[in-house]
Amino acid sequence: MFKYFSILRINWIHSLEYRANVLIGLFAILSGLFIEYQIWSLIYESNNHSKIPMSGIDGGVNFNQLIVFIFLSIIVGQIKSSWVTSSQMIIEIRQGLINKYLIRPISYFWYHFMMFIGINSLYIIVYTLLLLLFILIFPGMIFHTLISVLGFIASLLLSIYLSYCIYFIMVCFSFWFGEVRSLVLAYNLAMLMISGQYIPIRLFPEKVLEIINWTPVPYLVDFPVSIATGIIPVSDWSHKFLYSFIWCIVLTVLSYLIYKKGIKQYEAYGQ
Amino acid sequence: MKHTVNRYFKLWLAFFRNTLSRDMEFKMNFIFEIFIDIIYYGSLFFFFKVIFQFVDALGDFNQDAIIIFLILVYIADSLYVFFLGNNVFEINNKVKSGDLDFILLKPINSQFFISCRYVGIYSLISMGILLILLINLTYAYHENSLLLINYLFCGISLILGMLIFYSFEFIISSLAFWFRNFSYAGWLSGELIKYSRRPDSIYTKWFRKTLFSIFPMAMISSVPSRLLIFGFDLKLFLLQILITCIFLWITTIIWKRGLMRYESASS
Repeated sequence: MFKYFSILRINWIHSLEYRANVLIGLFAILSGLFIEYQIWSLIYESNNHSKIPMSGIDGGVNFNQLIVFIFLSIIVGQIKSSWVTSSQMIIEIRQGLINKYLIRPISYFWYHFMMFIGINSLYIIVYTLLLLLFILIFPGMIFHTLISVLGFIASLLLSIYLSYCIYFIMVCFSFWFGEVRSLVLAYNLAMLMISGQYIPIRLFPEKVLEIINWTPVPYLVDFPVSIATGIIPVSDWSHKFLYSFIWCIVLTVLSYLIYKKGIKQYEAYGQ
Repeated sequence: MKHTVNRYFKLWLAFFRNTLSRDMEFKMNFIFEIFIDIIYYGSLFFFFKVIFQFVDALGDFNQDAIIIFLILVYIADSLYVFFLGNNVFEINNKVKSGDLDFILLKPINSQFFISCRYVGIYSLISMGILLILLINLTYAYHENSLLLINYLFCGISLILGMLIFYSFEFIISSLAFWFRNFSYAGWLSGELIKYSRRPDSIYTKWFRKTLFSIFPMAMISSVPSRLLIFGFDLKLFLLQILITCIFLWITTIIWKRGLMRYESASS
Protein backbone atom coordinates (compact mmCIF):
# COMPACT_ATOMS: atom_id res chain seq x y z
CA MET A 1 0.00 0.00 0.00
CA PHE A 2 2.91 2.31 0.85
CA LYS A 3 4.09 2.29 -2.76
CA TYR A 4 0.77 3.73 -3.91
CA PHE A 5 1.03 6.55 -1.39
CA SER A 6 4.45 7.35 -2.84
CA ILE A 7 2.77 7.80 -6.22
CA LEU A 8 0.20 10.06 -4.61
CA ARG A 9 2.94 12.12 -2.95
CA ILE A 10 4.98 12.49 -6.16
CA ASN A 11 1.95 13.65 -8.11
CA TRP A 12 0.95 16.04 -5.35
CA ILE A 13 4.43 17.62 -5.58
CA HIS A 14 4.10 17.69 -9.36
CA SER A 15 0.72 19.43 -9.15
CA LEU A 16 2.29 22.14 -6.95
CA GLU A 17 4.62 22.99 -9.84
CA TYR A 18 1.71 24.34 -11.86
CA ARG A 19 -0.29 26.25 -9.26
CA ALA A 20 -1.60 28.73 -11.83
CA ASN A 21 -3.78 25.96 -13.28
CA VAL A 22 -5.90 26.11 -10.14
CA LEU A 23 -6.71 29.71 -10.96
CA ILE A 24 -8.10 28.54 -14.30
CA GLY A 25 -10.13 25.92 -12.43
CA LEU A 26 -11.56 28.61 -10.16
CA PHE A 27 -12.25 30.83 -13.14
CA ALA A 28 -14.03 27.91 -14.87
CA ILE A 29 -16.32 27.45 -11.86
CA LEU A 30 -17.18 31.12 -11.48
CA SER A 31 -17.51 31.71 -15.20
CA GLY A 32 -19.78 28.66 -15.65
CA LEU A 33 -21.85 29.82 -12.71
CA PHE A 34 -22.11 33.33 -14.14
CA ILE A 35 -23.55 32.02 -17.44
CA GLU A 36 -26.07 29.85 -15.58
CA TYR A 37 -26.94 32.80 -13.34
CA GLN A 38 -27.73 34.92 -16.41
CA ILE A 39 -29.96 32.28 -18.00
CA TRP A 40 -31.85 31.35 -14.84
CA SER A 41 -32.37 34.95 -13.73
CA LEU A 42 -34.01 35.59 -17.12
CA ILE A 43 -36.21 32.50 -16.67
CA TYR A 44 -37.24 33.42 -13.12
CA GLU A 45 -37.99 36.99 -14.23
CA SER A 46 -40.23 35.66 -17.01
CA ASN A 47 -42.04 33.49 -14.44
CA ASN A 48 -42.46 36.39 -11.97
CA HIS A 49 -39.94 34.79 -9.60
CA SER A 50 -42.24 31.86 -8.82
CA LYS A 51 -40.65 28.53 -7.82
CA ILE A 52 -39.65 26.04 -10.50
CA PRO A 53 -40.76 22.41 -10.08
CA MET A 54 -37.89 20.06 -9.36
CA SER A 55 -38.07 16.28 -8.98
CA GLY A 56 -37.81 15.21 -5.34
CA ILE A 57 -38.60 18.65 -3.87
CA ASP A 58 -42.13 19.56 -2.80
CA GLY A 59 -43.13 23.01 -4.03
CA GLY A 60 -40.09 23.43 -6.28
CA VAL A 61 -36.97 25.56 -5.89
CA ASN A 62 -36.44 29.29 -5.79
CA PHE A 63 -33.69 31.13 -7.66
CA ASN A 64 -31.15 31.12 -4.81
CA GLN A 65 -31.60 27.40 -4.09
CA LEU A 66 -31.12 26.56 -7.77
CA ILE A 67 -27.98 28.66 -8.15
CA VAL A 68 -26.45 27.10 -5.02
CA PHE A 69 -27.27 23.66 -6.43
CA ILE A 70 -25.61 24.52 -9.75
CA PHE A 71 -22.60 26.04 -7.96
CA LEU A 72 -22.02 22.81 -6.03
CA SER A 73 -22.66 20.70 -9.12
CA ILE A 74 -19.96 22.52 -11.08
CA ILE A 75 -17.45 22.01 -8.24
CA VAL A 76 -18.23 18.30 -7.84
CA GLY A 77 -18.23 17.88 -11.62
CA GLN A 78 -14.73 19.29 -11.84
CA ILE A 79 -13.34 17.29 -8.96
CA LYS A 80 -14.49 13.99 -10.45
CA SER A 81 -13.19 14.76 -13.94
CA SER A 82 -10.11 12.77 -14.88
CA TRP A 83 -9.22 13.74 -18.41
CA VAL A 84 -5.57 14.61 -17.77
CA THR A 85 -4.58 11.14 -16.56
CA SER A 86 -6.84 9.49 -19.18
CA SER A 87 -4.99 11.19 -22.03
CA GLN A 88 -1.69 10.09 -20.60
CA MET A 89 -2.87 6.48 -20.24
CA ILE A 90 -4.14 6.38 -23.83
CA ILE A 91 -0.81 7.67 -25.16
CA GLU A 92 1.06 5.10 -23.04
CA ILE A 93 -1.00 2.21 -24.38
CA ARG A 94 -0.80 3.43 -27.98
CA GLN A 95 2.94 3.96 -27.90
CA GLY A 96 3.71 0.76 -26.02
CA LEU A 97 4.87 2.59 -22.91
CA ILE A 98 2.98 0.52 -20.37
CA ASN A 99 5.71 -2.14 -20.37
CA LYS A 100 7.24 -0.34 -17.41
CA TYR A 101 4.12 -1.04 -15.35
CA LEU A 102 3.87 -4.66 -16.46
CA ILE A 103 7.33 -5.54 -15.17
CA ARG A 104 6.75 -3.83 -11.80
CA PRO A 105 4.82 -5.31 -8.88
CA ILE A 106 2.08 -2.70 -9.12
CA SER A 107 -1.45 -2.56 -10.43
CA TYR A 108 -1.95 -0.33 -13.44
CA PHE A 109 -5.47 0.47 -12.20
CA TRP A 110 -4.39 1.64 -8.72
CA TYR A 111 -1.23 3.34 -9.97
CA HIS A 112 -3.27 5.70 -12.15
CA PHE A 113 -5.97 6.08 -9.53
CA MET A 114 -3.39 7.43 -7.08
CA MET A 115 -1.93 9.57 -9.84
CA PHE A 116 -5.39 10.97 -10.53
CA ILE A 117 -5.90 11.80 -6.84
CA GLY A 118 -2.41 13.31 -6.62
CA ILE A 119 -2.88 15.53 -9.67
CA ASN A 120 -6.31 16.67 -8.49
CA SER A 121 -5.31 17.17 -4.84
CA LEU A 122 -4.50 20.85 -5.24
CA TYR A 123 -7.88 21.44 -6.90
CA ILE A 124 -9.62 19.53 -4.09
CA ILE A 125 -7.95 21.74 -1.45
CA VAL A 126 -8.72 25.00 -3.25
CA TYR A 127 -12.33 24.02 -3.97
CA THR A 128 -12.77 23.03 -0.31
CA LEU A 129 -11.58 26.52 0.66
CA LEU A 130 -14.05 27.97 -1.82
CA LEU A 131 -16.83 25.95 -0.19
CA LEU A 132 -15.78 27.10 3.30
CA LEU A 133 -15.80 30.69 2.09
CA PHE A 134 -19.27 30.13 0.66
CA ILE A 135 -20.53 28.72 3.98
CA LEU A 136 -19.13 31.74 5.82
CA ILE A 137 -20.71 34.25 3.43
CA PHE A 138 -24.04 32.46 3.02
CA PRO A 139 -24.63 30.49 6.25
CA GLY A 140 -27.49 27.99 6.23
CA MET A 141 -27.60 27.53 2.44
CA ILE A 142 -25.69 24.20 2.47
CA PHE A 143 -24.57 21.65 5.06
CA HIS A 144 -27.41 22.11 7.52
CA THR A 145 -26.02 19.43 9.87
CA LEU A 146 -22.63 17.93 10.63
CA ILE A 147 -23.77 14.58 9.29
CA SER A 148 -24.50 16.18 5.92
CA VAL A 149 -20.83 17.21 5.74
CA LEU A 150 -19.76 13.61 6.39
CA GLY A 151 -22.36 12.31 3.93
CA PHE A 152 -21.14 14.75 1.30
CA ILE A 153 -17.51 13.68 1.75
CA ALA A 154 -18.41 9.96 1.58
CA SER A 155 -20.62 10.40 -1.51
CA LEU A 156 -17.95 12.57 -3.15
CA LEU A 157 -15.33 9.85 -2.63
CA LEU A 158 -17.67 7.30 -4.22
CA SER A 159 -18.33 9.73 -7.08
CA ILE A 160 -14.59 10.19 -7.72
CA TYR A 161 -14.03 6.43 -7.69
CA LEU A 162 -17.00 5.72 -9.99
CA SER A 163 -15.86 8.41 -12.39
CA TYR A 164 -12.32 7.02 -12.44
CA CYS A 165 -13.63 3.51 -13.21
CA ILE A 166 -15.63 4.82 -16.17
CA TYR A 167 -12.56 6.65 -17.49
CA PHE A 168 -10.43 3.53 -16.99
CA ILE A 169 -12.87 1.39 -19.01
CA MET A 170 -12.82 3.93 -21.86
CA VAL A 171 -9.01 4.10 -21.76
CA CYS A 172 -8.83 0.30 -22.08
CA PHE A 173 -10.50 0.52 -25.49
CA SER A 174 -7.21 1.91 -26.81
CA PHE A 175 -5.86 -1.67 -26.61
CA TRP A 176 -8.12 -2.37 -29.59
CA PHE A 177 -8.50 0.97 -31.34
CA GLY A 178 -5.18 2.73 -30.63
CA GLU A 179 -6.42 6.29 -30.30
CA VAL A 180 -9.56 6.85 -28.23
CA ARG A 181 -9.02 10.35 -26.83
CA SER A 182 -12.01 11.52 -28.82
CA LEU A 183 -14.16 8.96 -26.99
CA VAL A 184 -13.02 10.44 -23.65
CA LEU A 185 -13.73 13.92 -24.96
CA ALA A 186 -17.20 12.85 -26.10
CA TYR A 187 -17.83 11.38 -22.65
CA ASN A 188 -16.67 14.61 -20.96
CA LEU A 189 -18.97 16.70 -23.13
CA ALA A 190 -21.91 14.40 -22.55
CA MET A 191 -21.30 14.27 -18.81
CA LEU A 192 -21.32 18.06 -18.52
CA MET A 193 -24.98 17.83 -19.37
CA ILE A 194 -26.15 14.34 -18.37
CA SER A 195 -24.54 14.26 -14.93
CA GLY A 196 -26.19 17.55 -14.09
CA GLN A 197 -23.10 19.74 -13.99
CA TYR A 198 -24.89 22.67 -15.63
CA ILE A 199 -28.54 21.79 -15.23
CA PRO A 200 -29.60 19.68 -12.24
CA ILE A 201 -30.76 16.28 -13.49
CA ARG A 202 -33.82 16.76 -11.30
CA LEU A 203 -35.03 19.30 -13.88
CA PHE A 204 -34.80 16.78 -16.71
CA PRO A 205 -38.01 15.42 -18.24
CA GLU A 206 -39.43 12.51 -16.20
CA LYS A 207 -38.76 9.88 -18.89
CA VAL A 208 -35.10 10.87 -19.26
CA LEU A 209 -34.70 10.82 -15.48
CA GLU A 210 -36.16 7.31 -15.32
CA ILE A 211 -33.48 6.04 -17.72
CA ILE A 212 -30.66 7.92 -15.95
CA ASN A 213 -31.68 6.44 -12.61
CA TRP A 214 -30.76 2.98 -13.95
CA THR A 215 -27.16 4.09 -14.55
CA PRO A 216 -24.32 5.25 -12.26
CA VAL A 217 -24.80 8.84 -13.53
CA PRO A 218 -26.93 10.16 -10.59
CA TYR A 219 -24.13 9.16 -8.18
CA LEU A 220 -21.53 11.28 -9.99
CA VAL A 221 -22.86 14.77 -9.25
CA ASP A 222 -26.48 14.78 -8.14
CA PHE A 223 -26.08 12.49 -5.12
CA PRO A 224 -23.27 14.43 -3.34
CA VAL A 225 -24.89 17.78 -4.15
CA SER A 226 -28.33 16.63 -2.97
CA ILE A 227 -26.81 15.54 0.35
CA ALA A 228 -25.01 18.88 0.77
CA THR A 229 -28.15 20.88 0.04
CA GLY A 230 -30.35 18.65 2.18
CA ILE A 231 -32.62 17.54 -0.68
CA ILE A 232 -32.21 13.86 0.21
CA PRO A 233 -33.41 13.15 3.78
CA VAL A 234 -30.97 11.21 5.98
CA SER A 235 -33.39 8.25 6.06
CA ASP A 236 -32.92 7.79 2.28
CA TRP A 237 -29.14 7.89 2.37
CA SER A 238 -28.58 4.21 3.16
CA HIS A 239 -30.11 2.74 0.00
CA LYS A 240 -28.56 5.47 -2.16
CA PHE A 241 -25.14 4.69 -0.69
CA LEU A 242 -25.79 0.99 -1.23
CA TYR A 243 -26.62 1.49 -4.93
CA SER A 244 -23.60 3.71 -5.36
CA PHE A 245 -21.39 1.09 -3.70
CA ILE A 246 -22.85 -1.68 -5.90
CA TRP A 247 -22.03 0.42 -8.97
CA CYS A 248 -18.45 0.79 -7.68
CA ILE A 249 -18.11 -3.00 -7.45
CA VAL A 250 -19.69 -3.60 -10.87
CA LEU A 251 -17.45 -1.04 -12.58
CA THR A 252 -14.31 -2.26 -10.77
CA VAL A 253 -14.96 -5.83 -11.94
CA LEU A 254 -15.69 -4.59 -15.45
CA SER A 255 -12.49 -2.51 -15.46
CA TYR A 256 -10.41 -5.55 -14.44
CA LEU A 257 -12.05 -7.81 -17.03
CA ILE A 258 -11.61 -5.35 -19.90
CA TYR A 259 -8.03 -4.59 -18.87
CA LYS A 260 -7.24 -8.31 -18.70
CA LYS A 261 -8.67 -8.86 -22.19
CA GLY A 262 -6.92 -5.76 -23.48
CA ILE A 263 -3.52 -6.66 -22.15
CA LYS A 264 -3.70 -9.92 -24.14
CA GLN A 265 -4.26 -7.77 -27.20
CA TYR A 266 -1.41 -5.39 -26.34
CA GLU A 267 1.58 -5.59 -28.70
CA ALA A 268 3.84 -2.84 -27.28
CA TYR A 269 4.02 -0.95 -30.57
CA GLY A 270 7.13 1.15 -30.98
CA GLN A 271 9.07 -0.60 -28.22
CA MET B 1 -0.06 39.05 -54.55
CA LYS B 2 -1.90 36.58 -56.80
CA HIS B 3 1.16 34.38 -56.87
CA THR B 4 1.42 34.42 -53.06
CA VAL B 5 -2.26 33.53 -52.59
CA ASN B 6 -1.90 30.73 -55.12
CA ARG B 7 1.19 29.40 -53.38
CA TYR B 8 -0.45 29.38 -49.95
CA PHE B 9 -3.58 27.78 -51.34
CA LYS B 10 -1.53 24.97 -52.88
CA LEU B 11 0.27 24.56 -49.59
CA TRP B 12 -3.03 24.31 -47.74
CA LEU B 13 -4.19 21.62 -50.22
CA ALA B 14 -1.02 19.69 -49.42
CA PHE B 15 -1.84 19.99 -45.68
CA PHE B 16 -5.34 18.72 -46.44
CA ARG B 17 -4.08 15.63 -48.30
CA ASN B 18 -1.53 14.89 -45.61
CA THR B 19 -4.08 15.20 -42.79
CA LEU B 20 -6.50 12.94 -44.64
CA SER B 21 -3.93 10.17 -44.93
CA ARG B 22 -2.99 10.60 -41.24
CA ASP B 23 -6.64 10.44 -40.19
CA MET B 24 -7.12 7.23 -42.13
CA GLU B 25 -4.44 5.58 -39.98
CA PHE B 26 -6.80 5.73 -36.98
CA LYS B 27 -10.13 5.14 -38.67
CA MET B 28 -11.92 4.40 -35.42
CA ASN B 29 -10.79 7.70 -33.94
CA PHE B 30 -12.05 9.43 -37.10
CA ILE B 31 -15.48 7.90 -36.43
CA PHE B 32 -15.24 8.86 -32.77
CA GLU B 33 -14.54 12.48 -33.81
CA ILE B 34 -17.86 12.53 -35.66
CA PHE B 35 -19.40 10.88 -32.61
CA ILE B 36 -18.06 13.77 -30.44
CA ASP B 37 -19.85 16.25 -32.66
CA ILE B 38 -23.12 14.36 -32.29
CA ILE B 39 -22.72 14.21 -28.50
CA TYR B 40 -21.79 17.88 -28.33
CA TYR B 41 -24.71 18.98 -30.50
CA GLY B 42 -27.08 16.69 -28.65
CA SER B 43 -26.06 17.94 -25.20
CA LEU B 44 -26.41 21.60 -26.13
CA PHE B 45 -29.77 20.92 -27.76
CA PHE B 46 -30.89 19.03 -24.66
CA PHE B 47 -29.76 21.93 -22.46
CA PHE B 48 -32.13 24.32 -24.25
CA LYS B 49 -34.85 21.70 -24.37
CA VAL B 50 -34.79 21.61 -20.56
CA ILE B 51 -34.67 25.42 -20.37
CA PHE B 52 -37.72 25.76 -22.63
CA GLN B 53 -39.78 23.66 -20.22
CA PHE B 54 -39.90 26.78 -18.06
CA VAL B 55 -39.89 29.68 -20.54
CA ASP B 56 -41.20 30.49 -24.03
CA ALA B 57 -38.41 32.77 -25.23
CA LEU B 58 -34.94 33.92 -24.21
CA GLY B 59 -35.10 37.61 -25.04
CA ASP B 60 -35.48 38.02 -28.82
CA PHE B 61 -35.00 34.32 -29.45
CA ASN B 62 -38.01 32.02 -29.24
CA GLN B 63 -37.65 28.23 -29.32
CA ASP B 64 -37.45 28.00 -33.13
CA ALA B 65 -34.93 30.83 -33.28
CA ILE B 66 -32.84 29.13 -30.60
CA ILE B 67 -32.68 25.93 -32.68
CA ILE B 68 -31.44 27.96 -35.66
CA PHE B 69 -28.96 29.70 -33.34
CA LEU B 70 -27.73 26.31 -32.10
CA ILE B 71 -27.21 25.02 -35.63
CA LEU B 72 -25.20 28.14 -36.38
CA VAL B 73 -23.15 27.54 -33.22
CA TYR B 74 -22.37 24.05 -34.53
CA ILE B 75 -21.55 25.32 -38.02
CA ALA B 76 -19.28 28.05 -36.60
CA ASP B 77 -17.56 25.40 -34.53
CA SER B 78 -17.19 22.95 -37.42
CA LEU B 79 -15.89 25.69 -39.69
CA TYR B 80 -13.28 26.65 -37.11
CA VAL B 81 -12.26 23.04 -36.48
CA PHE B 82 -11.99 22.38 -40.22
CA PHE B 83 -9.64 25.25 -41.01
CA LEU B 84 -7.82 26.12 -37.81
CA GLY B 85 -8.98 24.44 -34.62
CA ASN B 86 -6.66 21.42 -34.67
CA ASN B 87 -3.52 23.54 -34.66
CA VAL B 88 -3.72 26.44 -32.27
CA PHE B 89 -2.97 24.56 -29.05
CA GLU B 90 0.08 22.92 -30.60
CA ILE B 91 1.89 26.23 -30.02
CA ASN B 92 2.45 25.29 -26.37
CA ASN B 93 4.07 21.94 -27.24
CA LYS B 94 6.19 23.50 -29.96
CA VAL B 95 7.43 26.27 -27.68
CA LYS B 96 8.01 23.90 -24.76
CA SER B 97 9.94 21.36 -26.79
CA GLY B 98 11.70 23.81 -29.09
CA ASP B 99 10.13 22.21 -32.18
CA LEU B 100 9.06 25.64 -33.32
CA ASP B 101 12.56 25.93 -34.80
CA PHE B 102 11.56 23.64 -37.67
CA ILE B 103 8.64 25.91 -38.55
CA LEU B 104 10.67 29.10 -38.31
CA LEU B 105 13.23 27.67 -40.73
CA LYS B 106 10.64 27.12 -43.45
CA PRO B 107 10.36 29.81 -46.18
CA ILE B 108 6.72 30.60 -45.39
CA ASN B 109 4.78 32.69 -42.89
CA SER B 110 5.21 30.89 -39.57
CA GLN B 111 1.82 32.00 -38.23
CA PHE B 112 0.12 30.55 -41.31
CA PHE B 113 1.98 27.26 -40.93
CA ILE B 114 1.29 26.80 -37.23
CA SER B 115 -2.38 27.80 -37.64
CA CYS B 116 -3.27 25.72 -40.70
CA ARG B 117 -0.97 22.65 -40.58
CA TYR B 118 -3.71 20.16 -39.67
CA VAL B 119 -7.18 20.19 -41.18
CA GLY B 120 -10.20 18.88 -39.25
CA ILE B 121 -11.52 16.82 -42.14
CA TYR B 122 -14.19 14.96 -40.17
CA SER B 123 -16.01 18.25 -39.53
CA LEU B 124 -16.86 18.41 -43.26
CA ILE B 125 -19.40 15.65 -42.65
CA SER B 126 -21.02 17.55 -39.76
CA MET B 127 -20.99 20.77 -41.76
CA GLY B 128 -22.80 19.17 -44.70
CA ILE B 129 -25.56 17.74 -42.50
CA LEU B 130 -25.91 20.98 -40.53
CA LEU B 131 -26.20 23.13 -43.64
CA ILE B 132 -29.08 21.03 -44.94
CA LEU B 133 -30.78 21.26 -41.55
CA LEU B 134 -30.21 25.01 -41.40
CA ILE B 135 -31.75 25.65 -44.81
CA ASN B 136 -34.76 23.53 -43.91
CA LEU B 137 -35.33 25.24 -40.57
CA THR B 138 -34.86 28.82 -41.78
CA TYR B 139 -37.10 28.11 -44.76
CA ALA B 140 -39.85 27.09 -42.35
CA TYR B 141 -39.06 29.96 -39.94
CA HIS B 142 -39.41 32.56 -42.69
CA GLU B 143 -42.78 31.11 -43.69
CA ASN B 144 -41.56 29.08 -46.65
CA SER B 145 -39.42 31.75 -48.24
CA LEU B 146 -35.73 31.50 -49.02
CA LEU B 147 -34.11 34.82 -48.14
CA LEU B 148 -30.86 34.48 -50.08
CA ILE B 149 -29.51 37.86 -48.99
CA ASN B 150 -29.78 36.74 -45.34
CA TYR B 151 -27.81 33.58 -46.14
CA LEU B 152 -25.14 35.61 -47.93
CA PHE B 153 -24.52 37.99 -45.03
CA CYS B 154 -24.86 35.19 -42.49
CA GLY B 155 -22.18 33.23 -44.40
CA ILE B 156 -19.77 36.19 -44.42
CA SER B 157 -20.55 36.85 -40.77
CA LEU B 158 -19.81 33.19 -39.91
CA ILE B 159 -16.38 33.46 -41.52
CA LEU B 160 -15.70 36.68 -39.61
CA GLY B 161 -16.87 34.93 -36.43
CA MET B 162 -14.52 32.05 -37.14
CA LEU B 163 -11.62 34.51 -37.43
CA ILE B 164 -12.55 36.09 -34.09
CA PHE B 165 -12.76 32.60 -32.56
CA TYR B 166 -9.30 31.87 -34.01
CA SER B 167 -7.84 35.16 -32.79
CA PHE B 168 -9.00 34.51 -29.26
CA GLU B 169 -7.63 30.98 -29.08
CA PHE B 170 -4.42 32.00 -30.81
CA ILE B 171 -3.78 34.88 -28.40
CA ILE B 172 -4.40 32.65 -25.37
CA SER B 173 -2.28 29.87 -26.79
CA SER B 174 0.57 32.28 -27.57
CA LEU B 175 0.84 33.06 -23.87
CA ALA B 176 3.04 29.94 -23.85
CA PHE B 177 5.87 32.24 -24.97
CA TRP B 178 5.57 34.10 -21.67
CA PHE B 179 4.64 31.23 -19.31
CA ARG B 180 6.96 28.61 -20.94
CA ASN B 181 4.33 25.89 -20.31
CA PHE B 182 0.69 26.81 -20.68
CA SER B 183 -0.90 23.41 -21.22
CA TYR B 184 -4.21 24.58 -19.75
CA ALA B 185 -4.67 27.19 -22.47
CA GLY B 186 -7.32 24.98 -24.08
CA TRP B 187 -9.30 24.81 -20.87
CA LEU B 188 -9.15 28.57 -20.33
CA SER B 189 -10.10 29.26 -23.91
CA GLY B 190 -12.95 26.72 -23.76
CA GLU B 191 -14.37 28.50 -20.73
CA LEU B 192 -14.24 31.87 -22.50
CA ILE B 193 -15.70 30.55 -25.75
CA LYS B 194 -18.68 29.20 -23.77
CA TYR B 195 -20.08 32.74 -23.77
CA SER B 196 -20.50 32.48 -27.53
CA ARG B 197 -22.63 29.35 -27.19
CA ARG B 198 -25.53 31.10 -25.54
CA PRO B 199 -27.63 33.71 -27.38
CA ASP B 200 -26.57 37.27 -26.61
CA SER B 201 -30.09 38.07 -25.41
CA ILE B 202 -29.53 36.21 -22.10
CA TYR B 203 -26.88 38.73 -21.07
CA THR B 204 -27.80 42.16 -19.80
CA LYS B 205 -26.48 45.68 -19.27
CA TRP B 206 -22.72 46.33 -19.43
CA PHE B 207 -21.78 42.69 -19.87
CA ARG B 208 -23.83 42.45 -23.05
CA LYS B 209 -21.99 45.51 -24.39
CA THR B 210 -18.60 43.90 -23.73
CA LEU B 211 -19.72 40.82 -25.69
CA PHE B 212 -20.13 43.07 -28.73
CA SER B 213 -16.85 44.91 -28.22
CA ILE B 214 -13.74 44.06 -26.18
CA PHE B 215 -14.79 40.46 -25.42
CA PRO B 216 -16.59 39.79 -28.71
CA MET B 217 -18.09 36.38 -28.02
CA ALA B 218 -21.48 37.47 -29.37
CA MET B 219 -19.78 38.06 -32.74
CA ILE B 220 -19.07 34.35 -33.21
CA SER B 221 -22.58 32.88 -33.39
CA SER B 222 -25.12 35.43 -32.18
CA VAL B 223 -24.42 38.02 -34.89
CA PRO B 224 -24.62 35.49 -37.78
CA SER B 225 -27.86 34.20 -36.22
CA ARG B 226 -29.32 37.70 -35.99
CA LEU B 227 -28.40 38.40 -39.62
CA LEU B 228 -30.04 35.16 -40.74
CA ILE B 229 -33.13 35.25 -38.53
CA PHE B 230 -33.94 38.95 -38.21
CA GLY B 231 -32.36 40.23 -41.44
CA PHE B 232 -29.41 42.41 -42.36
CA ASP B 233 -28.15 44.94 -39.81
CA LEU B 234 -25.50 47.25 -41.29
CA LYS B 235 -24.25 48.57 -37.95
CA LEU B 236 -23.74 45.09 -36.53
CA PHE B 237 -22.10 43.85 -39.71
CA LEU B 238 -19.63 46.74 -39.92
CA LEU B 239 -18.84 46.39 -36.23
CA GLN B 240 -18.07 42.72 -36.77
CA ILE B 241 -15.72 43.51 -39.67
CA LEU B 242 -13.93 46.14 -37.58
CA ILE B 243 -13.53 43.85 -34.56
CA THR B 244 -12.30 40.97 -36.74
CA CYS B 245 -9.63 43.19 -38.29
CA ILE B 246 -8.51 44.48 -34.88
CA PHE B 247 -8.29 41.00 -33.37
CA LEU B 248 -6.44 39.53 -36.36
CA TRP B 249 -3.99 42.41 -36.17
CA ILE B 250 -3.48 41.71 -32.45
CA THR B 251 -2.64 38.05 -33.24
CA THR B 252 0.17 39.13 -35.57
CA ILE B 253 1.54 41.52 -32.94
CA ILE B 254 1.38 38.86 -30.20
CA TRP B 255 2.99 36.28 -32.47
CA LYS B 256 5.88 38.60 -33.38
CA ARG B 257 6.38 39.65 -29.75
CA GLY B 258 6.21 36.01 -28.67
CA LEU B 259 8.83 34.95 -31.21
CA MET B 260 11.18 37.58 -29.78
CA ARG B 261 10.89 35.85 -26.40
CA TYR B 262 11.28 32.36 -27.85
CA GLU B 263 14.40 30.66 -26.54
CA SER B 264 14.37 27.45 -28.59
CA ALA B 265 14.37 25.04 -25.65
CA SER B 266 16.10 22.08 -27.29
CA SER B 267 18.91 23.89 -29.12
